[in-house]
Amino acid sequence: MTPSLGSDSKGCLRRLAHLHSTELGLLVAIVVVVGFTAVFSDAYRGKPLQNAQEILRQTSLLGVFALGAAIVIISGGIDLSSGSVIAFSGSVCASIMLALAPVDDAGNPMTQDLGAGVFALAIAGTLFTGFLIGTLHAWLITAVGLPPFVATLASLVGLRSLARVFVQEVTASLTPTGKTTQIYIYDETFSKLGTTWWIPLCIFLVLSFLASILMSRTVVGRHLYAMGGNEAAAQLSGIRTDHLKWLAYSLGAITASIAGILYTAEVGTAYPQVQGLGYELNAIAAAVVGGCSLQGGVGLISGTMLGVLFLRVVIDSVAKIIKFGSADDYEGIIVGFLVVLAVAFNELRQARRGSGKQFFPGALGAMAIGILSLLSGVLTTIMVGKQAGVTVFAVLIALGLITLLRRRFSPRRIASPASRLP
Amino acid sequence: MISAPLISVRRVSKRYPGVLALADISLEIVPGELLAIVGENGAGKSTLMKILSGVITDYEGEIALRGQAVRFATTRDAENSGISIIHQELNLVDQLSASANIFLGRELRTAWGFLDQDAMDRRAAELLGQLECHIHPGELVRRLRVGDQQLIEIAKALSLQTEILIMDEPTSALTESEVARLFRVIERLRARGVTVLYISHKMDEVFRLADRIAVLRDGRLVDTLNRRETDARKVTHLMVGRELEETDVSSPRTPGDVVLAVEHLRLPWPGHARGWRLADVSFSLRQGEILGIAGLMGAGRTELLESLFGASADAPSGRILLDGREVMFRHPAEAMRAGVALVTEDRKRLGLFAEMTVGQNITLCTLDQSLRAGLLSRRRENEQAESIVSQLAIKAAGVDAPVTCLSGGNQQKAIIGRWLLTRPKVLLLDDPTRGVDVGAKAELYRLMDQLCRQGLGIIVTSSELPELLTLCDRILVLCEGRQTGEFSRQEATEQRIMEAATMRRVSSPSGIA
Repeated sequence: MTPSLGSDSKGCLRRLAHLHSTELGLLVAIVVVVGFTAVFSDAYRGKPLQNAQEILRQTSLLGVFALGAAIVIISGGIDLSSGSVIAFSGSVCASIMLALAPVDDAGNPMTQDLGAGVFALAIAGTLFTGFLIGTLHAWLITAVGLPPFVATLASLVGLRSLARVFVQEVTASLTPTGKTTQIYIYDETFSKLGTTWWIPLCIFLVLSFLASILMSRTVVGRHLYAMGGNEAAAQLSGIRTDHLKWLAYSLGAITASIAGILYTAEVGTAYPQVQGLGYELNAIAAAVVGGCSLQGGVGLISGTMLGVLFLRVVIDSVAKIIKFGSADDYEGIIVGFLVVLAVAFNELRQARRGSGKQFFPGALGAMAIGILSLLSGVLTTIMVGKQAGVTVFAVLIALGLITLLRRRFSPRRIASPASRLP
Repeated sequence: MISAPLISVRRVSKRYPGVLALADISLEIVPGELLAIVGENGAGKSTLMKILSGVITDYEGEIALRGQAVRFATTRDAENSGISIIHQELNLVDQLSASANIFLGRELRTAWGFLDQDAMDRRAAELLGQLECHIHPGELVRRLRVGDQQLIEIAKALSLQTEILIMDEPTSALTESEVARLFRVIERLRARGVTVLYISHKMDEVFRLADRIAVLRDGRLVDTLNRRETDARKVTHLMVGRELEETDVSSPRTPGDVVLAVEHLRLPWPGHARGWRLADVSFSLRQGEILGIAGLMGAGRTELLESLFGASADAPSGRILLDGREVMFRHPAEAMRAGVALVTEDRKRLGLFAEMTVGQNITLCTLDQSLRAGLLSRRRENEQAESIVSQLAIKAAGVDAPVTCLSGGNQQKAIIGRWLLTRPKVLLLDDPTRGVDVGAKAELYRLMDQLCRQGLGIIVTSSELPELLTLCDRILVLCEGRQTGEFSRQEATEQRIMEAATMRRVSSPSGIA
């Protein structure tokens, strides 16, 4: 017992050091990516401050609801609805402003100069809407018994559609010009909420601080981790898991509502058809890149913050380096790539413990090498425009070689022929 | 001993990060023998078997099968060489039928390439019949009892023409009659010449079945003994590395006032032919008393504890009086606040938080006591956890160590500690020594005795009768949800309890004593 206990504790210490390895790794990665971009793009060297501010602003907008996504994921659930909640709450916010705005002689609402009272009401109303959405999710999940995936998927599809109908109804009844698909808010103070770089940043930092306190220093936070790690055991430990889920999904929806206000302010428009489209996956990706496990029970707010920053830094870096096309078009590719990379990296770290795991086994591996080569070839062609053939060839050769080497050095199966039974 | 070895294990070692699970094991297995492999939890028994069956593929050293070196890359390789393993946690697909499980991965097909269900069912029925398992091959596995599920695994091994069968603690979830049937099956397999490697820590089984006994301790092979030339005491001594003193917790305790009274407790079972999980259970528990609940699997032991704790799926009816006041908990949180604690049977699934540290596992229910200005104080939390670690003598590298680094017995102590911090009046322990090694069991017995003497009322269930007879002041027997007996310490014998536990119906619930 004693010798193994001694070596056990060493393993435990190492695991403790591992606890923050995700954050350390992300920090290094962020520095590397920024440095790389600075070398290859004039933009970073020419206007470093401006670029930094823009990255931080974008990071904060995404970060606000990534915090909610992380809390839901840590608690053992998933919230797919945040993109649509952003669109819906943006519409709600703009509608309240429109309804409360003073009207000119022709009956047009004037949104150029709204008072503080209007802001307060609009924001409070929007956050309350978020709370209601989260509550609905929690009810569907705990009382009706839907899997979180289904409950929030329904919102993902339903809320955006509802927001579009809602905006049309609101504009039809409040403006003399009639039904439109978007609501414009011309107030400059409101617009600053999303465009002045430090305002979203402050909101993000304050929310991160609160979330971090919640998750690491309160009873509720500990219970959220416990529920995410082992829900049945948590319940049998006298933890009210239903209440916790209510809290988690409410936080998920409320943070998305805050983001909805900010995104609406950024462009001065509530445009539910496209606003926040697909953002839920960015938030989940940021949390996963930041070290949250989709199994629940694992993850840190600090990791999530760095995960968001890393995601935005890479997206921005690609936007700066590519020569063709709009940077927005590449966002999905980057997010998808980074999520796979982050999780695969974790797998790799475990695989090093020597299960002799192969990344390209058999026919599937051969196909995967082909697909990856093709993909990189296509991407190179689009982004760089030339040398695509060379890249495909190089990647194919490289991966093929790695596979061959791995196979050579991995334990080979030797089944003795005599061992077969008649 | 003269025949050439069937399997030779040559200087095999297996290292996990920071742990040497197996250290330089050399062992020869003779054809047709039954070799028992014994050792405490964590001694390396399962690791060695996983290497032999192709589950673990990277290890140092060499395995030779009939003199030829082999290295299995998968379990399929091992199966093709005639080695099958039956894990403690069975490896069956719940949603598939018995025959589908038996032929999983080697499905019989018709000339057209479609599944030949009839042939599989026929063959499965034949195999199961040989094993005294009279179930329909089309029955879904999840509807079967554990004992029958295990026989399906054995049937699968038979269909593979297995020559070497590894069984990892096969009796841990079986009733007495199922154990008897399993032993008959093992005899039959041996008559066919199958070599059996039998992992267990139950001495009576080992001495009943084995030809030879290999003892592992801390990843090392301590000795290989001939069954005829040794005894249980010596083997246990080799296993734990010290003499195991008889645990004496029988010195009379003096129970105090009644702390818990249960009257006509009934727990419905909607959708089941029987209609109830518990029918008319009545008993009382005094302070400083240990009440045992005996019964076969499915008798309602766990259900009884769950309904006392507000954790049952359906609401029970009847009266529960705690300290004279009527209570009916709808959520474990209410039970906890009222002073009832439940340590669950399935530690991994229902008790432990694997991602958390030892300390976090201990303080989870009583975090309110570690608050300062509304926030968790790490210092106070650690104090709380450390007090339990020292009080219960939990062997851990520290309260910050991951709880998965602890042995089963120490994990169990940590969970008991979690509940002790809630200062319960009644402690419910559901099979607390399951999966705990011999040395730790004795410690748990002493702990229960000590807690009891401090005035706690304890209800304990166990699948091992001797354990209840050692521990309990009174033993309540359940059979199919009915209360079929109640014995005081003086009255209780294994014979009487088994009679009550297998009784179908009795006129008056306590009429046997």
